Amino acid sequence: MRAWKAALLLNLALLLGVGWGYAFWGLRTTRLEQDLAAARAGATAGAERVWRVAGVVRAIVPEINVLVITHEDIPGYMPAMTMGFRAASPGIHEAVAVGDAVRFTLQGVPPNVVITAIETTR
Amino acid sequence: MIALEVLARWAHLALSVLLVGSAGSILLAGRSDRPTALAWETRMLDACRGLAVLAFVTGVAVLMLQTALLEGRRDAALDPVALKRVLLETRGGHVWLVRHGLLLLLAAFLAVPLDVRRRLDWRAARGETVLLAAAALGAGAAAGHAAAQPGTLAAVAADGVHALAAGAWAGGLIPLALLLRRAARAEGADARPHAVRAARRFSRLALASVLALAASGALGATAQVGSVAGLVGTPYGRLLLGKLALLVPILALAALNRQRHLPGLAGEAASVGRPAMAGLARFVAGEAALVLAVVGLAAWMALTPPAAHAAPEWPFAFRLSLATLDGAPARAVRALVGSQVLALGAVAALAALVVRRGRLPLLGGALVVLGAGVAIALPPLALDAYPTTYVRPAVPYRAASIVAGAARYREHCAACHGPAGAGDGPAGLRLPRPPADLRGPRTARHTAGDLFWWITHGIPRAGMPAFGARLDAEARWDVINYVRALAAANAARGLGPAVEPGRAWLVAPDFAYAVGPTPTRTLQEHRGRRIVVLALYTLPGSRARLAQLADQYPSLAALGAEVIAVPTDAAPDALRRLGAAPRIFFPVVTEGAADIVAAYRMLAAAPHAEILIDRGGYVRAISRGDGRAAGEPNALLAEVQELNAEKVVAPAPEAHVH
Repeated sequence: MRAWKAALLLNLALLLGVGWGYAFWGLRTTRLEQDLAAARAGATAGAERVWRVAGVVRAIVPEINVLVITHEDIPGYMPAMTMGFRAASPGIHEAVAVGDAVRFTLQGVPPNVVITAIETTR
Repeated sequence: MIALEVLARWAHLALSVLLVGSAGSILLAGRSDRPTALAWETRMLDACRGLAVLAFVTGVAVLMLQTALLEGRRDAALDPVALKRVLLETRGGHVWLVRHGLLLLLAAFLAVPLDVRRRLDWRAARGETVLLAAAALGAGAAAGHAAAQPGTLAAVAADGVHALAAGAWAGGLIPLALLLRRAARAEGADARPHAVRAARRFSRLALASVLALAASGALGATAQVGSVAGLVGTPYGRLLLGKLALLVPILALAALNRQRHLPGLAGEAASVGRPAMAGLARFVAGEAALVLAVVGLAAWMALTPPAAHAAPEWPFAFRLSLATLDGAPARAVRALVGSQVLALGAVAALAALVVRRGRLPLLGGALVVLGAGVAIALPPLALDAYPTTYVRPAVPYRAASIVAGAARYREHCAACHGPAGAGDGPAGLRLPRPPADLRGPRTARHTAGDLFWWITHGIPRAGMPAFGARLDAEARWDVINYVRALAAANAARGLGPAVEPGRAWLVAPDFAYAVGPTPTRTLQEHRGRRIVVLALYTLPGSRARLAQLADQYPSLAALGAEVIAVPTDAAPDALRRLGAAPRIFFPVVTEGAADIVAAYRMLAAAPHAEILIDRGGYVRAISRGDGRAAGEPNALLAEVQELNAEKVVAPAPEAHVH
């Protein structure tokens, strides 16, 4: 074999090796990420979920049956923030006042979730 | 263990560099049909094969030692499980696999007998050798210090260029010396034109390589060392200085070769050409020996934490700072005159390089003038310095540390330095020198590391005692943070409710806060994202202003500002006390309020204060009042918008140590 052909073949083999390695590792990572995203989505989509969340009542708007609560992380749904939640029944807000530290039950199919129970913790 | 690994890495790096140089010098010298040149080429190819195998073997040794170092036990060097883990699960391991695969491939390629009588075949075969050797050397950059930095790609590329330039130049010295020695012998006359051509081409390549080395080395040094203190005060910086010091004789030898030996090569054989060639061979070999030492230092540096990540220990009793010239016109004039003399000396030195006649006297005069300039300009700039001068604070500048430092200060420092740091404590009157006023600009002139040294070791001639034995390091840093806050409190008196565009200088102490049971957040989390309006309020006076803020909160949020309200009484039931109306949706701090109030009341002592902190973490405006609603309701929105309109972003406060 001519030497230039040998060198060319060797370089082609190297390129192929690098390409194959990239494809193997790169595609595997992408696939793993997709699986992970699908698993996450599957766990949350369509299914009714229940959380127990701690927070502080910041405001009560009885006219529209809403409690505004500064709450901790709600795993798999939203990070800690101040946010308004609908109460499942009109009586729920009567048990708490603004400034109360509370623990509440959030139930529903995201994003349609409501507070089904609430009690003060301190 | 470390010493052994440095040795192994030295051998491995030197062999890899030599491999690139040998393969490169064959290609550089070009094809020849002269017996002496052919004999040299065969010898070099054999050497390449041997070097590839040796580099592989020393690479295995490096891998084993590195595994032992990572695992923290000696027998891990021979433990297949540990080796496999390092190879497959670390970045360094992946790079090792690629590099050593290339070395094996190179050895195999060189072992295959190839027909290279045609020019194309010769070029392909020799070019392939260079390619594989260079890839094996350059890929090492992907596992070095540069690869562990942010902005990796450019840094890795610079490191790779550095290694390859070193290979082309430093690695080519010995092969070139061998060729020259052969050609300088009487029986090597047939290869003399070939050797002359090789030496000239090499000289050009060496010049380009040295420039590339200097540029890539400067880039790497800026990233890894970053400061003068890092250069002279850390092991990494000192190794780099050693490397630079070795470079001086190497470059002097190279310049000598270029000027004296190179022109003589083509001269009449017996009287000029051959002696010049033999002389060049000797000098080049000497250059190679020095280069070997440089490569050793480079291997050592690869195993030393970069200066930017180490605490520098300042080796001199002084440092130079322009801050000494503030308010000292006589010093400023002297420094200015000295700098003019320096410039004059520099012009004379440049002129000495350009003119032909009278060069030496001119150069001598230039050096004298430069020396005089240094002697005039530098003394007024000198400040006392200590080994810890450039140490970065071990405890960040944050509210909790300031509060802890305040307690220590009252206990240990206030007797002399005064309750507010004015240097007016009763016990200070008996001291040989009045205690320093800690509030003023004199404090700002010194680094945190200076204060750390004084607190640890005392100032004997001024009567300041040493606290190194009484306070642990953390407590001493707390005191320094409190002193820094004292100086900041004094300076903050100049800040009013309006933002001064483009002037960010007062660092906001970091703090941690939480609202009820929600996770703790910090001021630092908002950096680069949101402007923070820190409202220290007192009920019932602040109620009206809080209602106004609550009303404006949607607008403030839309402008990128977060409001954090802190009750000055640090009441845990602050939310309940605020009540249901008006509806307040911004964070009202219930955890951590005491520290925030204590630290920030130093800056603003009013019953109701609003502190505007920009996205860079600087206090930009302070409004002090009693909590009545603002007469101009949109004033705060206007100040926030002023900050939004700013283009200049001041460096992050960490980079700004006082």
